[in-house]
Amino acid sequence: MDLARELSALAAHVEWPETPALRLELAPRRRARRPLAVALAALLFAVAVAFAVPQSRAALLRFFHLGAVTIQVVDRLPAAQERPLGADLGPVVSLARAKHVLPGLLLPPLAAPPPLHTKGGAAIALVFELDGKPVLLSEYGYGAGFIKKIAGGATGIEPASVNGAMAFWLSGPQHDVFFPGTSPRLAGNVLVWERGAVTYRLEGTLDESAALRLARELRHT
Amino acid sequence: MEGRPRAERELVLRAQAGDAHAYRELVHPHEQIAFRVAYLITRNAADAQDAAQDGLVKAWRALARFRADEPLRPWLLQIVANEARNRRRSAGRREHLALRAAGAASPGEAAPSPEEAALGADDRAHLLAALEQLPDAAREVLACRYLLDLSEEETAAALGVRLGTVKSRSARALDKLREAYGPRT
Repeated sequence: MDLARELSALAAHVEWPETPALRLELAPRRRARRPLAVALAALLFAVAVAFAVPQSRAALLRFFHLGAVTIQVVDRLPAAQERPLGADLGPVVSLARAKHVLPGLLLPPLAAPPPLHTKGGAAIALVFELDGKPVLLSEYGYGAGFIKKIAGGATGIEPASVNGAMAFWLSGPQHDVFFPGTSPRLAGNVLVWERGAVTYRLEGTLDESAALRLARELRHT
Repeated sequence: MEGRPRAERELVLRAQAGDAHAYRELVHPHEQIAFRVAYLITRNAADAQDAAQDGLVKAWRALARFRADEPLRPWLLQIVANEARNRRRSAGRREHLALRAAGAASPGEAAPSPEEAALGADDRAHLLAALEQLPDAAREVLACRYLLDLSEEETAAALGVRLGTVKSRSARALDKLREAYGPRT
């Protein structure tokens, strides 16, 4: 008998563990609780940016939001530059100033905090090394302006969870990221999540499990 | 989508509007296959249960992104399988449970096909043991395709690979299995 058919015949005799009753704790989605004004502002921003990018006018497939980040999926990625993670982060500020700007500031568990940058508003960015590779952590309070991410159809966008908070994991082919006041650049693997009134974004060459582990290890100072 | 139960699409739309009861009704028929896919990856029933639960909760949170006209099962399996892979990576080495073949079909099951009847208990045990000895990638693709009867598209979603990879990996895995299983008459 053909081996594939033997495998199919075997299927009826495999003793699987009994499927347990799954407990699905379905909390109301956060987006439904978000103030309408914020949602509308995000929508208007997304539409405005989409139509400011010629290539995406006819190619907008869908978009969604998480905190200060809007992720838009298009079938053709607009042109963008590849720049170092530490480019355009703004001047360095003290830890005290950073905590004043962003009370929800989280830092990686390092012996000494890396330089903290801000370009104004409730936004802090820092670059540090993990396993010898650079990682960019960006943190945004509401009012810091919106970050626009444009992903091609091949970019993986998967739901994730950081300490119970909703998150998205963007991986695979690079996507474009538009930070307020800067020209778009290409971004690699990114984990985005929202905690309280702050949106956090980790970018680097991490895989999903490493990014999630790092996100869970971030601590308030 | 052609062939898609209308009731399922309506449940998707209700669930996307925030109806948790509709979501539970929607995913209930897929819980067993989700658990088994997770079990194939984690090789541990407790981890598989956690992966299936967490995966289906993540799918609920991400449901707004799901297109109601697309097939639901591959999308669910993709999320659950990703969760299972994360757990397998974080769990590291541990004692793994292996699949076992029963001596006879369960009561109430349909009469065996001629192929099933021709495959004796010893052959089943031998074939399953050979399958268990394959590398993870080969074992998983064959188990998804033949033991769980997933389509190639569903297998690609569950394993996080392209459709072409499923085809080529299946062919190579069958070759490896044939070597391990030995010539049959």
